[in-house]
Amino acid sequence: MFKDIIVKFAFLINGSYSYRKVKETASNFLQNQDYHYKKYFDIFMISLIIVSITILVYEVKHTVPEWMDFFDIYIVTVIFTIEYLARVWVYNDWHLLVVKEYGESQFLNRKFSLWKPTKIALKGKLEYLFSPTAIIDLLAILPAYRPLRVLRIFVLFRVFKLLRYTKSINQFLSVLSSKKFELFTLLFLLLFITITAGIAIYVFEEQKNGNINSLFDALYWALITISTVGYGDISPVTTEGRVVSMAIIITGIAMISFVTSVIVSAFSEKLTELKENRIVEEINKNEEFMIICGYGQMTRMFLKHYAIEYKRRYIVIDNNREKVEEAIKEGYSAIHEDASRHDVIAKFNTDYAKITLLALTGSDIANIYITLNAKALSSHIKVITRASTDKIAKKCKLAGADSVVMPSLIANRMLFSAITQPVMYKAIYAILTGQHLAQLDEINVIYHRKLVGKKLDELNFKEHKLLCIGLQVGRSGEFIFNPPMRLHLQEEDILLIMGRKVSIEHFKTLYEEIRYV
Amino acid sequence: MFKQKAFMFGYSQERLFLAHELGYKLMSFIIVVNDKEAYKKALKDGYTNVKLLDVTDDIALEKLEVQENDYLICVMDDHYLNVFLTLSLHELFPKAIVVALSDSPHTTQKLKMAGASKIIDLYQVSANRIHNILHKPVATKLVERLLSSDEDFSFKEMAIPSGSSLDGVMVDDFDFSRHGVILVGMIDKRLSNQFIFITSGLENRFDVGDTIVCIGYNKDLEKFEDYIKL
Repeated sequence: MFKDIIVKFAFLINGSYSYRKVKETASNFLQNQDYHYKKYFDIFMISLIIVSITILVYEVKHTVPEWMDFFDIYIVTVIFTIEYLARVWVYNDWHLLVVKEYGESQFLNRKFSLWKPTKIALKGKLEYLFSPTAIIDLLAILPAYRPLRVLRIFVLFRVFKLLRYTKSINQFLSVLSSKKFELFTLLFLLLFITITAGIAIYVFEEQKNGNINSLFDALYWALITISTVGYGDISPVTTEGRVVSMAIIITGIAMISFVTSVIVSAFSEKLTELKENRIVEEINKNEEFMIICGYGQMTRMFLKHYAIEYKRRYIVIDNNREKVEEAIKEGYSAIHEDASRHDVIAKFNTDYAKITLLALTGSDIANIYITLNAKALSSHIKVITRASTDKIAKKCKLAGADSVVMPSLIANRMLFSAITQPVMYKAIYAILTGQHLAQLDEINVIYHRKLVGKKLDELNFKEHKLLCIGLQVGRSGEFIFNPPMRLHLQEEDILLIMGRKVSIEHFKTLYEEIRYV
Repeated sequence: MFKQKAFMFGYSQERLFLAHELGYKLMSFIIVVNDKEAYKKALKDGYTNVKLLDVTDDIALEKLEVQENDYLICVMDDHYLNVFLTLSLHELFPKAIVVALSDSPHTTQKLKMAGASKIIDLYQVSANRIHNILHKPVATKLVERLLSSDEDFSFKEMAIPSGSSLDGVMVDDFDFSRHGVILVGMIDKRLSNQFIFITSGLENRFDVGDTIVCIGYNKDLEKFEDYIKL
């Protein structure tokens, strides 16, 4: 009976869209580094921690106002507690395990055991509860308990809690963890020498040195000396003691140099990776960005003309380190990776951001593979692929490319126009290369609301030194070349105009809607 | 059929389309190559007027019967050689029109200095096209239609013949939309031999000998061409 209720409840939760949505949102806020709004949550938590630490530190020597105490005890602590419980909640899904176990037991005609999924779920939760970050979270709640002043020491854990929200410290720790073996070896060596030296000084000076009264004093002296701090509160008085001192001072210097070199080498090894991860994290903060695969001539030309327009909302990926270094030298954001690898594109925020991927490497095969890779990851990624021939262009389309660019085809058409229609060529060249003296541009009426309902005739194209080439009619998408001037513009229409860049910009400004943020 | 005579220097996979179009539409079209493989390929593809010569040799180049206003298209795969060839051709045939293909702004600059009259930067055009696909999809589609030979929609340049009804008419006074075409620009011989966009704001007058460039549906363009002859 009880089991039935639990199973029903598990199925109910499993089928509930709202439950899933709430849990997914909570998980995004707490765990998903790519979630756009997580940064606001992190900033909020950091501010809360800083405020609470300030209150607790201030309270040591001053009487804090009642409202401040109230804020720290109830607001901060309640938020910390909710956060702690939410993290435990999102760590794993007990109901999924119950549903799975129930399904399997039905399928295999075996007795359903509630304990099995509960045990796995509990094990998972306990695993989380005993993780260092969860312990810090729990201990960070304790200082709020005022009757026990000793708990105030746990204010330190609120400082540690900051670790969760500061990436640089986490990165520092991750770099150190890559040299775990070397650092542990050195630590053991340090302990060994400290203990040996401590015992030696204890044996030599316990009777002769008034400052060394116990083994602890000796070990304390050894550690202070080996670390080259040397407070001077305890110093050797016998020749033997001084010899021990000399030996551990030399060892200490050697060990400090060794530790420093291990940390420095760990950083230099990981520096590029850290920098590249930071670039990816930065780009993932945008709602819309561009991934450019391959730093060849076409990418160079594209960025030369449009990098400013795209601001920092683009990233270049190339599997050739020299090319990446060249791109960085030119001032572009670039990382050394192979864009045809699934995990490389998966690093980007494909779930929430609007991504355009340009597959512009010099190899058709690589471009097709990159296209497939991106489309396999998310069909929402808009892919523009470079192809060298018609046949390859067809393959790119089959692979899912939204548009295909064939440099040789465009060049051939231009060459052909240059020879057969030389006057016209200038017009085409200006339009195709986006020169300032003649640009073909489109005006989305939806972004220029002052145009809604206007008759084309009223827009005085001639006066603005513009040509009205065509009109794409909103919902139907029908394109009218040389539209009649009696037509009225509708909200979703797109107007196609030609003119100097300055004329187009002026016209757009005239009809631009002022947006109030 | 166009009356121009053109020499295309270089014959590669990427230039097959160009060779095909030019071979089909020009009165005289000669392919010049400097390696046997390309020579055999061009012959195999059906071109009869193919010459195999060392393009670095001025004496061999001089033997080509290049006339005034002939087009010399430099599309060699090796861009160093392309620049060198442009320089040689400009020196040997200063009155011919050298059209060259470039792969970077640096090469474009060198080709300009070497004397090329028209340079097409392969990647600049492509980069702009990518930008247009993203930001001006409607305009991009229109340009594609204008450039594609399969479409019924194109650019057309027309010379104003003597006795034309356009002769002496001010540009602003003529209603092109009545003919279903749009005037993009013109060469006003009274002012210069330069192409002027109609949106430049200058007040121009149509005179005999001027060249106008219009866009529109092919049938409207043809009708309009007939109209201006009247």
